[in-house]
Amino acid sequence: MAGDAIPRAPSLLLVDDEARILSALRRTLRREGYEILTAETPDEALRVLGQRPVDLVLSDQKMPGMSGLQLLAEAARRRPDAARVLITGWTEAIPREELDRLGVRALITKPWDDADLKRTLRQALAAVSG
Amino acid sequence: MQPVSQAMPAVRIVVAEPPLPPPDEGPDTVAALQRLGPEARVDVVGDSATCIALCRAGDVDLVVVDRALGSEGQRILEELRRCGPPVVVVGRDIADEAALDAFRRGAAECVAVRADQVELLPVVALEQIQRWRALCERAAAERRIQEIKQLQRQVLQTEKMASIGQLAAGVAHEINNPIAFVHANLSLMGEYLADLGRAWDHVEALQKAVSRGELAEVRRASSELAATAEEADIRYLLSDLAKAIRESQEGSERIRHIVRDLQDFSRQDSAERVLADVNDCLSSTVGIVRPMMKHVVELETDYDEPMQIACYPMQLKQVFLNLLVNGFQAIEERVGDSGEIGHIRVRTARVEGGVTISVSDDGTGIPPDHLGRIFDPFFTTKEVGSGTGLGLSTSFNIVQRHGGTLTAESAPGEGATFRVFLPALAGVEGGRGG
Repeated sequence: MAGDAIPRAPSLLLVDDEARILSALRRTLRREGYEILTAETPDEALRVLGQRPVDLVLSDQKMPGMSGLQLLAEAARRRPDAARVLITGWTEAIPREELDRLGVRALITKPWDDADLKRTLRQALAAVSG
Repeated sequence: MQPVSQAMPAVRIVVAEPPLPPPDEGPDTVAALQRLGPEARVDVVGDSATCIALCRAGDVDLVVVDRALGSEGQRILEELRRCGPPVVVVGRDIADEAALDAFRRGAAECVAVRADQVELLPVVALEQIQRWRALCERAAAERRIQEIKQLQRQVLQTEKMASIGQLAAGVAHEINNPIAFVHANLSLMGEYLADLGRAWDHVEALQKAVSRGELAEVRRASSELAATAEEADIRYLLSDLAKAIRESQEGSERIRHIVRDLQDFSRQDSAERVLADVNDCLSSTVGIVRPMMKHVVELETDYDEPMQIACYPMQLKQVFLNLLVNGFQAIEERVGDSGEIGHIRVRTARVEGGVTISVSDDGTGIPPDHLGRIFDPFFTTKEVGSGTGLGLSTSFNIVQRHGGTLTAESAPGEGATFRVFLPALAGVEGGRGG
């Protein structure tokens, strides 16, 4: 991003197999000035990662075929400079070390708090661009 | 008299007679009853209240009422008529009419006690006591059976709730997702409404300006409205608001369904068998587990023609739930975190004399040395806390109660198939081995 001539809006990739969640996340982030990309499957997410610049990946944990953590690990390989945030229902406990090992910046639980979500994403983006 | 006291230790008899016997040598009822032996305890009371209180306190086997007690005696008869020990009415002479009256009032027997007939009362008393005891025993046995049945129902219900507990994580996830987006949508709709409210303020200002006819004011109000509409993106808000409401309604509908299915599942069966379609029982169970197994298991169903059988539908659903949860857990154990999807195949088939239901999974399979024990109570290979060890044995019992069979086939590494056979005929208990 440092070499970009024209500063562009940070680009977020939201991944969740539940379209309604993507839709609600998009609404929550409407005023945040991001370019928002969405994917309903991990495969689709990986395809988007290959095609578009992405500054942050926000992924659901429980998805068909591949868990959110697995997707974020793959995203780290493909786009090491993109921030990674996991969003999950409270049912599955994910050990902190696991998140640290994969360089996951933050863990958001569903249902999320709007202000909390916005702040967490801003901080995660600041950490990777700063 | 010896055999009497041996067969019935501690017989208890209450004699109700006037406190002061007539001066002429009246019949000694107590003495006659004492011929029953030393084990016969005879209490004498002089009024109905004491007599009834003794009977209510329990373990009275027989009440003997002297006709000379008059209306007090009648009160005893009336009181004990509905429930209580048998009452024998005695008198020095019992005319037909008096006897008829006593019988009408609920007396079990009428006996004349005279010096020359002192033998009769103990015989009659003994007969009544034996009959009463048999009655009490039958009632107690009936109560015990009811208690056992009640206990059985409780065990079934507990086991069913435990099976649902195995799916709790899935249920929570299924409910959590719609709650998450409905929750987010509601707060955003609040924000949208605030923006729409601001725009409406400008609409009102514009309306006022128009009615005053001040062109400059109209222009200013109009441009303010346009600026707000532009800045808040009112067009978009309006269309997205409709979409957000639609999506939230769908979300709350989903939650409602899940909760209703769970309530449906937690109900208890009635005591009687009812006619129900096996396919319906199975598909409603599949309906409840399918979303909870999402991402781990692909559930395939293959139903034969509808098949009504006389059964306890909730119990059958519990069997199906157990088998499905077992398959699910075997698959979870095999695939771990690999992200691989397992398969469960559910089939019903009409066969001669009934219907078979099979549940096949491609999980870890059952080792041969476990195969003979899986239906034993408390046999479990699961970690403490993740299974009761009663699932399959409960299922086995339920199927047996329906006169059917439950069998398992498995080879390690090749998954397992559980097969239920249910006979079409009602009331066939026991079954064809098993």
